[in-house]
Amino acid sequence: MDVQSFAQALFTRGRTMGFRDMEVYASSRNQFRVGVFKTEIDSYTLAESRGLMFRGLINGKMGYSFTENFADEGLETLLKDALENAAIMDGDAGEEIFAGAAPDNYTHIDAFSESLPEVPAGEKIAWVKAVEGQAYALDNRVFTAQVSVGDTFGETLIMNSHGLKLSHRDNFAAGYISAVVKEGADTKQSYAFVAARDFTRFDAAKLAKEAVEEALSLLGAEPVPSGSYPVVLRKDVALTFLSTFASSFSADAAQKGMSLLKGKVNERIMSEIVTIIDDPHLAERPNASPFDAEGFPTRKKAVVEGGVLTTLLHNQKTAKKEGVMSTGNAHKAAYNAPVGVAHSNFYIVPGQNCYQALLTQMGDGLIITSIQGTHAGANPVSGDFSLSAYGYLVKGGQVVRPVNQITIAGNFFTMLCDVRAVGDDLDFGVGAIGAPSLFIGSLAVAGT
Amino acid sequence: MLAKALLEDCITAALSTGGDFAEVFVEDRFSNTLALVGGKVDSSVSGREYGIGIRIVQGTNCVYAYTNDGSRESLLRVAKAAAEALPGVSGTRCLNLLKGALPQVNLIHALPHTIDKQRKVALMTRAYQIAKEYDPIISQVSVRYFDEDQHVQIANSSGLLVEDRRVRTRTSITAIASKGAEKQSGTYAPGAHMGFEFYDKIDIDTYAREAARIASTMIHADYAPSGRMPVIIDNEFGGVIFHEACGHSLEATSVAKKTSVFADKIGEKIASEAVSAVDDGTIPNAWGSLNVDDEGHPTRRNLLIENGILRGYLVDMLNGRRMQAKATGNSRRQSYKFAPTSRMTNTFILPGPYSKDEIIANTEYGLFARYMGGGSVNPATGEFNFAVNEAYMVRNGKVMEPVRGASLIGKGSEILMRIDMVANNLACGQGMCGSLSGSVPTDVGQPTLRVSEITVGGRKGDK
Repeated sequence: MDVQSFAQALFTRGRTMGFRDMEVYASSRNQFRVGVFKTEIDSYTLAESRGLMFRGLINGKMGYSFTENFADEGLETLLKDALENAAIMDGDAGEEIFAGAAPDNYTHIDAFSESLPEVPAGEKIAWVKAVEGQAYALDNRVFTAQVSVGDTFGETLIMNSHGLKLSHRDNFAAGYISAVVKEGADTKQSYAFVAARDFTRFDAAKLAKEAVEEALSLLGAEPVPSGSYPVVLRKDVALTFLSTFASSFSADAAQKGMSLLKGKVNERIMSEIVTIIDDPHLAERPNASPFDAEGFPTRKKAVVEGGVLTTLLHNQKTAKKEGVMSTGNAHKAAYNAPVGVAHSNFYIVPGQNCYQALLTQMGDGLIITSIQGTHAGANPVSGDFSLSAYGYLVKGGQVVRPVNQITIAGNFFTMLCDVRAVGDDLDFGVGAIGAPSLFIGSLAVAGT
Repeated sequence: MLAKALLEDCITAALSTGGDFAEVFVEDRFSNTLALVGGKVDSSVSGREYGIGIRIVQGTNCVYAYTNDGSRESLLRVAKAAAEALPGVSGTRCLNLLKGALPQVNLIHALPHTIDKQRKVALMTRAYQIAKEYDPIISQVSVRYFDEDQHVQIANSSGLLVEDRRVRTRTSITAIASKGAEKQSGTYAPGAHMGFEFYDKIDIDTYAREAARIASTMIHADYAPSGRMPVIIDNEFGGVIFHEACGHSLEATSVAKKTSVFADKIGEKIASEAVSAVDDGTIPNAWGSLNVDDEGHPTRRNLLIENGILRGYLVDMLNGRRMQAKATGNSRRQSYKFAPTSRMTNTFILPGPYSKDEIIANTEYGLFARYMGGGSVNPATGEFNFAVNEAYMVRNGKVMEPVRGASLIGKGSEILMRIDMVANNLACGQGMCGSLSGSVPTDVGQPTLRVSEITVGGRKGDK
């Protein structure tokens, strides 16, 4: 059965079972990926998947259920599951199905390229082989290069019993290289990514060079003595930090006592040179959408402006609790996750300083180019982190040598109060979170 | 599950070009996820994931395709589209799938769907209350309950046809302690390849109290020092050190392409003589156990390291071809959305001769890592990191004040050589392990052990 007919059948049957308001959230995704290892196509993936989540309000409680099997017989199970799940909810949750907004409240976002699906598989395979070939040709210390490229096409549909019907589709392609270099017993690895909707922007030589040069530059890395160091967090590391602690900006986390930002709206929480924007209308970025996971219209807003927390991110339920409007940040981690809260495209606004200017201002210190283990070594509730890192030692604003086997430790919010300068090199990598490089006054470093 | 004739036709279609091996993986998974925050049910979601993965292998190259549409028309279309990615023409073949008898090592007594959701909520509420009432400094407790009933059917062109059912449950308790603007959390998350009878076998109160104890201990703790020092890692989830520092680098995914630091080292000394380790997917009802792996082969107990000597790798069929090695029953995948590859099941260091007390008493200065967080490793460089959720300083053979915010970093090859004392108190803890074929449940484990020197990353410089 197609999704829309299935949804209508659910609403009709659900009504007879006592559901007052109901919603179907469906997503489908087609993916292609090809990987090459030593000139052979060693992996090739073709995927098509779809899933549907139902939620319905009964006796003031919301019940959820989902399926990937759209056969008729699944319908009853879906409703029965939702009914059971609603029954055990506490009554005052305050979750509602969105009645809908006027069409002109929804910003049109063109996140689909007509030309991308036309790129033949052969062209992508040729590109992957080119990246691999270039990587090996760059330097004889290149031990292995694993390269892949893929594209994905997704569609999201929200339909509810108030008559709301919204859909959004997007596609993009992404390429990846992991390069391992060896010199004697010394092994180093680096990665590079490219993501775009326009395949002609995929530069094989540039990608290979980026990964190989970085890996080579790390050969001979040594720790530094433990102590406090000024650091420049390179843009990709600044981005990883923002991503790790982004959940602190959720009003849901704050209301549950799981965010240090609870009760901090309109307070200064960071250095005054830091501004953070949430922008769901950046069509090039993965989380662009005219509506959020509840069907609420999305909008661009500053979350931190000049170091002051201007708003937390809200869905309808969290907004209702605080008597404010939803910020259009209802979010599902997957089609089959309950409605929560999250950022859309979320970034630190770039400053005026070029990368070298940050190093010059720092003088002596460390550049951090990679942090590892953020899922374990960083705690979004406390803001504390202690993370394995590597990068370079800087003296007089110049890179002296590579550094590895160190940790950097501190607290995310304390660190962002200590931002001395913001770079002009905002980058999103392949994702929805972006940051420029940041010069931080001091971090605790553990080494020798 | 699919009919035998349809499976045979799918495999035949998949081999219509140059493939020499084809496999169909059918998955039908029912799950329940409940969250209780502040004593109230915050969400309860049930559902069904369903899909079919088709894998075609030619030499060491692999094509993988998946779909949710299990109709004959769809499956044959997907199988043919996947086959077209491979060059060559098919030879004549005759396929007759023979359904194999399965070793049933993981017996299930209380299937999740037979348990009323109110009982699940009652369990969570109890955990909440125990943790919340442990200490007034506990400001919030969240409890997540999860169960799943995964049915799989695996058929391949060698004639294999097996069905398996994996039932798992897990409850994760997180307590948060608050003091002024500071927060610290403690988490405990027991799980098993079991139905609801698991909660008769364990005492949920113990775990709830532990989560609260960790949070309330850590909120009063000062920051850990930085620098290199001896580290005693406690048993159970402490085994994450071996999982990260060594286990991933023994997976054929990195060994076969020789990107692992332990490639071509069978028979060589890679760890101190105090270290012997196994991966054992056959432990009845353990979190990482399986009757058969996701290629349909029975799991095994695989010796990895014996008295410091490397004895074996974890091998899947495809990488086995690259390595000219036999598969070890370790091929796993998160779901039909992933091609399977070599992964850990229940991986642990075997017991040694000392008592935990002896190890502590013989340590003049160092860190006692009582409860570990997660970690990660780069198999190419062997560099690992992991977080310590509960730690204490050790001075003059005694466990002293708690310290917070420590992480441990190092290189697997170096750390394994520096394990100098292993205790006799082996225990395992549960984790979710993420890698190429997605996130899979694994047990990590070890007895209490000491590493003579690790870099501790803290925020205080003194010694």
